[in-house]
Amino acid sequence: MVKAADDIFGKSYKKAYLKLSNGVTLIGRAIGANVITSGEMVFNTGMLGYSESMTDPSYLGQILVFSFCLIGNYGIPFPKDGNLFMSKGHESASIKTQGIIVSDIYDGCHHHDGDIDIQDWMKGQDVPGIAGIDTRYLVQMIRKSGNLWGKIVPEGAKAQSKEKFEFLKNFKDDEYVDPSKYNLMPSVSTKEILYMGKGGKTISVIDCGAKWNIMRMLMERGCNVKVLPWDTDFSKIECDGWVISNGPGDPKNTKDLVDRIRKDVLGSNKPILGICLGHQLLALASGAKTKRLNHGHRSHNQPVFSLPERKAYMSSQNHRYAVEKSSIQPNWQLWFENANDDSVEGLRHKTKPFISVQFHPEASSGPNDTSWIMDKFVKFVEEKR
Amino acid sequence: MPILDFLLPKNGKKQKVILLGSGALSIGQAGEFDYSGSQAVKALEEEGLEVIIINPNIASVQTNKGPNKKVYLYPITPFWVEKIIKIEEPAAIISSFGGQTSLNCVIALAKSGVLKKYNVKVLGTQVDALELSEDRDLFAQKMKSIGVPIAKSHAVSTVTEALETAQKIGYPVITRSAFALGGLGSGLAKNEIELKKLTQSALMMAPQVLIERSLHGWKEIEYEVMRDKTGNTITICNMENFDPMGIHTGDSIVIAPCQTINNTENNMLRDTALKIAQSVDIVGECNVQYALNPQDYGFYVIEINARLSRSSALASKATGYPIAYIAAKIVIGFDLLELKNPVTDTTSAFYEPSLDYVTLKVPRWDLSKFTGVSKNLGTQMKSVGEVMAIGRNFCEVMQKALRMVNENDNGITSNVFVDTTDDELEKELIFPTNLRIFAIYESFKRGKTLEHIYEKTNIDYWFLSHILYLSKVEKGLLDFFKENVTKQDAFTVKDIYNAFNRLSKEHLHRLKSRGFSDFQLTKIFLKACLNPEIKLSIKQVRTLSFGIRKLRKKLTIVPIVKQIDTTSSEHPTKSNYLYLTYDGIYSDVSPKKNSKSIITLGSGSYRIGSSLEFDWCSVMTSSYFKNKKYDSVIINCNPETVSTDYSASDRLYFEELSYERVLDIIDIEKPKGVIACMGGQNPNNLIVPLSQAKVNILGHSPKSVDGAEDREKFSAMLDKLGIDQPKWTSAISIAEIEKFIEKVGFPVLIRPSFVLSGTLMNVANDKASLNYYLSLTKDISRDYPVVISKFILDAKEIECDGVAKNGEVILSLVSEHIENAGVHSGDATIVFPAQKIYTHTVNVIKDIVRKIVKGLNLNGPFNIQFIARDNDVKVIECNARASRSFPFISKVSGINLSELSCKVMNNEKVKKILLDESELAHIGVKASIFSFQRLDGADPVIGVEMTSTGEVGCLGEKFNHAMILSMEATQIKKPQKGVLLSTGREKDKVKFMEVVDNVYKLGVSIYATKGTAKYLEDRGYKVNVVHWNRSPRAIDVIIDGKVDFIININKNLSVDELNHNSEIRKTAVRCGCSILTNLEKVIAYLRAYDSYGELQNIENCITL
Repeated sequence: MVKAADDIFGKSYKKAYLKLSNGVTLIGRAIGANVITSGEMVFNTGMLGYSESMTDPSYLGQILVFSFCLIGNYGIPFPKDGNLFMSKGHESASIKTQGIIVSDIYDGCHHHDGDIDIQDWMKGQDVPGIAGIDTRYLVQMIRKSGNLWGKIVPEGAKAQSKEKFEFLKNFKDDEYVDPSKYNLMPSVSTKEILYMGKGGKTISVIDCGAKWNIMRMLMERGCNVKVLPWDTDFSKIECDGWVISNGPGDPKNTKDLVDRIRKDVLGSNKPILGICLGHQLLALASGAKTKRLNHGHRSHNQPVFSLPERKAYMSSQNHRYAVEKSSIQPNWQLWFENANDDSVEGLRHKTKPFISVQFHPEASSGPNDTSWIMDKFVKFVEEKR
Repeated sequence: MPILDFLLPKNGKKQKVILLGSGALSIGQAGEFDYSGSQAVKALEEEGLEVIIINPNIASVQTNKGPNKKVYLYPITPFWVEKIIKIEEPAAIISSFGGQTSLNCVIALAKSGVLKKYNVKVLGTQVDALELSEDRDLFAQKMKSIGVPIAKSHAVSTVTEALETAQKIGYPVITRSAFALGGLGSGLAKNEIELKKLTQSALMMAPQVLIERSLHGWKEIEYEVMRDKTGNTITICNMENFDPMGIHTGDSIVIAPCQTINNTENNMLRDTALKIAQSVDIVGECNVQYALNPQDYGFYVIEINARLSRSSALASKATGYPIAYIAAKIVIGFDLLELKNPVTDTTSAFYEPSLDYVTLKVPRWDLSKFTGVSKNLGTQMKSVGEVMAIGRNFCEVMQKALRMVNENDNGITSNVFVDTTDDELEKELIFPTNLRIFAIYESFKRGKTLEHIYEKTNIDYWFLSHILYLSKVEKGLLDFFKENVTKQDAFTVKDIYNAFNRLSKEHLHRLKSRGFSDFQLTKIFLKACLNPEIKLSIKQVRTLSFGIRKLRKKLTIVPIVKQIDTTSSEHPTKSNYLYLTYDGIYSDVSPKKNSKSIITLGSGSYRIGSSLEFDWCSVMTSSYFKNKKYDSVIINCNPETVSTDYSASDRLYFEELSYERVLDIIDIEKPKGVIACMGGQNPNNLIVPLSQAKVNILGHSPKSVDGAEDREKFSAMLDKLGIDQPKWTSAISIAEIEKFIEKVGFPVLIRPSFVLSGTLMNVANDKASLNYYLSLTKDISRDYPVVISKFILDAKEIECDGVAKNGEVILSLVSEHIENAGVHSGDATIVFPAQKIYTHTVNVIKDIVRKIVKGLNLNGPFNIQFIARDNDVKVIECNARASRSFPFISKVSGINLSELSCKVMNNEKVKKILLDESELAHIGVKASIFSFQRLDGADPVIGVEMTSTGEVGCLGEKFNHAMILSMEATQIKKPQKGVLLSTGREKDKVKFMEVVDNVYKLGVSIYATKGTAKYLEDRGYKVNVVHWNRSPRAIDVIIDGKVDFIININKNLSVDELNHNSEIRKTAVRCGCSILTNLEKVIAYLRAYDSYGELQNIENCITL
């Protein structure tokens, strides 16, 4: 809004329509790239961390509604050397959301750690959005409907390129993209094994769409990190511990991965940490079941507490699916629970160094209260060696 | 059991807990503590505890009587708290809900062993932790031990040392000369050369120089932290100052949540806040303040407050999370997981609110009330109140807040600096006053760039760019109308409608969503098109603005209602905490059919003249109608209040008290009635315009209100009824003023029309002072007349508070001022029931009251002020609304005047109440507190212009008891070292002799200025003489600490005399002495010493 007051006199903005699967159309101002896109409607109530969220692979196939009214205030960090991995603010190499919906967007970039403004960033990556939407109304609509899909249609825009992500090839232009129907791993997982970090202990991160901060935190803790494609033959991998990462979609869509985790990862008896989707995959591999929540948890303020201590933590979350409490297997126990809705937030094996959490100990964005889980995991690894 | 063992009932009896209040409102410690205390009372009562409140602030909601509550209106001092502990035998005491006053008192009681002696436990954060948070050195050590950076001063005594230190901490550095007054030797050094120069000169004057890292221009950021006994910790809210470091947070514009920091910065500071709370072992609430480098991720902790604070009240209102309520549950033993979030009722209290809106606090200053006080802002807080605006974008909240705080509809487009030169404007940017934001706006209008303003102010670009945007919008509109409208005058509502109809619907909506009021838009239009020769009144502009309202309604551009629900709608809630915005399309609350709502208009920002007492009236009104099963609705925008606690009403609109916004809410609520007479003058001003818009106003008819407020009409009515009044006139020229004075003689009271930079009420004693005061009044004209009236010397001032129904008095209660006329009723010491008025006078007064009530046909609360000399009674004014003294009179008499008013407004049957005031069990004395210590340069003399910031009311079986207690509660302490006398005119000196022995009986040294000393010596009293200008000087005995009590009576009210004494008074304030400047008050106080011993030894304290 800094560049001109022309918007009052209609000189400089273009309309965009948000066409929802419930028949409602909302009108706002087009922001970002001039393309048509669609996806599952989800909202996040975090007030900061838009760039971390937009690059979080777990948002693949989704149109992200920011419930907070002012987005873009501090720009986007974009180091000149292009090393995004080392630059906080990015959780993968590109924007993963299909598009974003905001109430008000800021067109400037003045923060010391901001290099370009959010709209330029979106334009560069072919990601559209709409500003001027009553996001509180939209959040209520999503919460009440449970399942809502949407289409962003800027005036005079072309259809989105299907080359961007592999899973998009499944969709026709006149349908709503529904990411929950497909195995999304090929779209977000690394194609080849990546090696990073230095240290005596080697951790394999099964990349289901891993947020970069998982790798950063492991490296900070002196780990030698191998990032594995989701379809790697784990039986051939040598390491001291496993991290099963977060990622998009329904864990039931990747039965083969679950089987391989059961056999080669659980079977290896090495320490395991499951995060978010990785937690669900690990639970499925242990024999537990998962379910779809009404609208999921996407925020920086999910209250969780550990059992049996009842110690409480603020957690960052981004998930639609959860482990069914009644299905927890006898060798496993409930480790964390959500203080708002009692849902399962973490599991641990009764005798082995297997732990998993539904929330994000790597935060980014969101609070760091549970980063100690990374410490705990690395300690397991060190003890086991 | 979540509750601590020792708080469980013993032998079937409830345990008692003492909750200390914060006393009178003063700058830096205001209404927020009534809010936090009231929430705590609720939380404690719910858990089966009996709450003992000690707080002399009689106008507070927390000092209302309650079934599980005892109220002691006593000074919050270790002496009185110990006495009450002895009487009540409480299990515990709570320190954290009454600001610094209560914290200090509890620390003192713990240190002296009193708490141990009576086995009273401190709840919440323990005393050693409190001390740690208060002691800068201990705190710095603690922070260092946990690796948290803290800005520290380093003392150096050579230039080399200075350079070495600066090398270590990094440039720029600030140097402060130790032991030097007034900032001598202080400065900013950006490099070695500058530092060398500075320290060289500073070390010539003082042996030591303090060097610290300059944080000037850094961002100032706060976190509100809550921690329970098990260590579960959350941050409720973060807040960011619009004004960077250098201006006190209390004087800064504050936005919540933070807007210019990123996720990394936020979590870095949040993590640190949790770490600090853990290391200090906070149980309950804590506030952490940071300075954040705008150029990198560097930061320092500035300080923490291990208690509820102004910021925690603001954070509560900004988020909806009831911090004080939850903190109270925590200090009695609950952990956060055991508690529910009261807004949702279903989710956990271990929760950090998510906002989908933004809030902006703007402070309210009344600096023009204090001559001699610099308007520049700095590290000493000067504001007396605040407002908070809620909206969905920054422009909207800024515009709203600026309209709320100045109670005019102009907001940012006020043109405060339109006639200022560029140079002056620059100065305002660099050396900010309370008006800086307007200077920024004006600079942008003059084409200054973002970079330029940033360089001068260091205010973040994000904030500035929004102000720039608004200035561009205004400019764009001016151009648009200039191009499109040719008419130049005689504009009608239709013209305004047509002009704005030229904009598209979307664009008009955009203007509204960026916070422009209809009034502002109309003014912009007129600025573009109206012949500049023609000036329109506010009323005329307001009428024209109806054109926009009409157009908007036709285009359905109306504000929508959104809930504040702590969860950004993630969970369904029935929250009744609401605000309005144009930035959205869907209302959480739909317009009412078959409405049962009664709207109470609150008081808006606290300010000098309208404070806590009107919030008390509003809260009483709201709860009355709530209990009567109406939908009780409150509109108010002051975050410090109990009325803006969403549990005080059925629906709370945290909104502007402007004509436009109140009408918007009326359109939604379709209320049965609107009450505007309980929130003080601010809402009272809306009665006439609202009733013209066909709103049903409860209570007095608009005609009655107008009849009381319009001086001419009121005066004519008094004449008709044969009621005497001081002679007065409304003059529009100097000639008229002189003519009037010729007729009535000096002294006269002058009251100029209030303009933004205007001057104040004053009493002119002679021609010279008249000319001086008039010279301060810029403009005397038909638009800005001066009201001038005969000032009557040596007269008593008497007030009557009451309630009327249909022109008949239901109840009228008479109180008297201790000070003679000439002291504003808001500053005066008031006694109820009156002790020194003849029965005959009371009868005369009650008769006049009956006549006025009949004459105006009053129907609701009222307050009438009189002056009486001998038996001659004159009427000064009549307020057809609840008055400042309502809570005081209600609590002393035991009859709730607010409730009685509500009964009348609800058209219930009420019988005339005949109360024999002399039969009342106790005598009450209400006294004022002045915040002169905070206002460097202010002359602490009291006069016709109100300057007090708060008040107390204490009770006694005898007048003397109540007098001593109320003085003690307003920081007038019995002399311990010495007394400095200066007793005024000859006849005052004579009068002073009545009590002189009580001064000598104290056994402390007595000093007096020349005339007074001679007078005393002539009568055989030993006294040390001091002089104005030669040794021993009066100010030296103050500075040297030889005296701690100053009695300083002016001979007269001439300018010279005032200046003469002013140095003594100012020095006394700076040195923390007790000071009395009014003879009648001095006499009443010193005479009360007769009962001092008796009061100290009293065994039973009075409870409400």
